[in-house]
Amino acid sequence: MTTPILEIRNLHARIEEREILKGVNLTIPAGQVHAIMGRNGSGKSTLSYVLAGKEDYEITEGEILLNGENILEMDPAERAVAGIFLAFQYPIEIPGVATMTFLKAAMNAQRKARGESELSTPDFMRAVKEAGAQLNIDSDMLKRPLNVGFSGGEKKRAEILQMALLKPALCVLDETDSGLDIDALQVVSKGVNALRDANRSMLVITHYQRLLNHIVPDVVHVFSDGRIVESGDKDLALQLEAKGYADFDATAA
Amino acid sequence: MRQTMPVRLGAAEDTLIAQLKSVGADATAERITVAGLPTRRVESYHYTDLKTLLRAIPPLAQAANEASAPALRVPGAYQLMIANGVIQSASTAPAGVIVGKAAGGVLTTRDDVLVHLNGAFAKESLTLTLESSVDPVIQIDRRSEGEAAHVADSLKVFVADGASAVILETFSGSNAAHVGNHATYMALGKNAVVTHITVDLSPRAAAHFASNEYHIGEGAKLRTLVIHAGAGLSRTQLFPRYEGAGAHGDITGLNLVVDGQHADITMDASHAVPHTSSQPLFKSVARGRGKAVVQGKLVVARDAQKTDAKFMHQGLMLSDEAEILSKPELEIYADDVVCGHGSTCGKLDEDSMFYLTSRGIPKEQAETMLVRGFIEELVDPIEDEALAEALHGIVDGWLLGK
Ligand SMILES: Nc1ncnc2c1ncn2[C@@H]1O[C@H](COP(=O)(O)OP(=O)(O)OP(=O)(O)O)[C@@H](O)[C@H]1O
Ligand SMILES: [Mg+2]
Repeated sequence: MTTPILEIRNLHARIEEREILKGVNLTIPAGQVHAIMGRNGSGKSTLSYVLAGKEDYEITEGEILLNGENILEMDPAERAVAGIFLAFQYPIEIPGVATMTFLKAAMNAQRKARGESELSTPDFMRAVKEAGAQLNIDSDMLKRPLNVGFSGGEKKRAEILQMALLKPALCVLDETDSGLDIDALQVVSKGVNALRDANRSMLVITHYQRLLNHIVPDVVHVFSDGRIVESGDKDLALQLEAKGYADFDATAA
Repeated sequence: MRQTMPVRLGAAEDTLIAQLKSVGADATAERITVAGLPTRRVESYHYTDLKTLLRAIPPLAQAANEASAPALRVPGAYQLMIANGVIQSASTAPAGVIVGKAAGGVLTTRDDVLVHLNGAFAKESLTLTLESSVDPVIQIDRRSEGEAAHVADSLKVFVADGASAVILETFSGSNAAHVGNHATYMALGKNAVVTHITVDLSPRAAAHFASNEYHIGEGAKLRTLVIHAGAGLSRTQLFPRYEGAGAHGDITGLNLVVDGQHADITMDASHAVPHTSSQPLFKSVARGRGKAVVQGKLVVARDAQKTDAKFMHQGLMLSDEAEILSKPELEIYADDVVCGHGSTCGKLDEDSMFYLTSRGIPKEQAETMLVRGFIEELVDPIEDEALAEALHGIVDGWLLGK
């Protein structure tokens, strides 16, 4: 059996004495797209932050294996280099840091950490231009400070642009569809689908089945009160859309 | 008659008094004898207690016979040098610039010890008359060279009506416990546009003092940027005076301090006539036990109606032990004005740090990017590319601990 890209075993995490993740088990084989759906506050973003290595959380139990390697001791930058990418639910605005400067710094930092040479400016510009064109990102937007003054939809597209440039092994998309208009949803989904690859896995967090018509998942998980309580194929999302989460709360209890 | 208790004088004061007497500045010597150096009880020195901070004064500077490497090179700049208070001969001035010398200091007398001392010790001043718009950046490289020395120098700049210029002053020198006391007087004619940048790159052992007096005429626009990035103890005093309708000042400054450093920017601005405006914006970044001070006083005269002036100081603490102090002061005698002040102080934003590092950018580099971003607002308006790049270099050098 080949090693899955992501394997989470009995993961428990707390913040400020409050346990949010209560025994998450999740395996995503290479090439697969898994979706997570669940109530507000059930811990989906927490899971994504814990994967990316945000410091505020205390892991009290369990393991996260990326390509078979435990990443819990790694800091966020090391995890990024190892192949984790989180498309934020709420991308951060950073005044004073130019978007292009940031993109170049991120790409080169990862290359450097892997022992590759730095990108030349023309190569970098070309890569950004190509990836940007696919996502209908105009170059004026990239001249602004990072995420500053970007509309909600622009911020989400910028996240996917970063993902396309950084080519991670594991893409975690936290409500990338929220704030997108119908056309933008198409564009972003197309961008994400273009990144589907036999060596890449994706974890797509969403509240709406509609996104999953565009990004068709291999597996859908229902998240409730800090753990996965049900898993199924893409029809599970339809079922949830029709009936809500009530049935699954019962099984969780 | 009221009896005043004589103050106890320290070694620095004794040396100063002897030096003042040796140059015939008896009145100033008498002042120091009676009052000593200012302590925290003197309002304008409340956070920069010179009596405590300035323990020794080195001997008065002798003419230098060698110069250390320039601390900052700006390609294309026209360079002038004052070394140990002595004006050095310069190459041919660019079009529109007349270079000269005058005897003595340049500052208008005011109740301030640094101003008095500069007046007493500055033997000659460099004068620049800018008759029209000057293309190259004019750099005045002020040096303290050789053994530790007490250096005083001064510069006077006249900017003709309608002229424009970018003037850079750099302060540097040999690695010794110099005390530098520098003065700049600048008069901007009608509609003149001037950018004046002063950068302290003195060695850590040195104390750096500068007093800049500005007279801003009708419709004239002044942008200043003070950068403290060198001496262990630094204080730059800014005295802008808005003297004609439409006069405007973007008075900005940056304190960069690490463990053991003390940097102070003190502005005392005077809006003297109606319809003038200013936007003083200062930033401080402090590491270790570094201490940064910004004081900003806005004085609006009785008939200076329609004055629009806002003072702002933003601090960034890179350690828990750092100290960033702000003192805004408004003294408003007119009734139809918009004046205000504000200050903020915080640490690097954790969410921003997480965002950058989650993209693979190592922690130190992410910090550097955020600090640079914090400062960018001050460097961004500098249009000369070579100069902006040189200033970025200073900030980066500081960030990387050079
Ligand atoms: N700093 C914190 N201190 C205490 N509780 C927190 C903290 N941060 C998050 N939580 C709590 O953790 C729980 C899970 O939050 P999380 O953001 O992971 O939910 P979510 O499933 O992503 O919700 P949504 O669908 O609304 O995005 C919530 O109840 C939230 O209030
Ligand atoms: Mg969430």
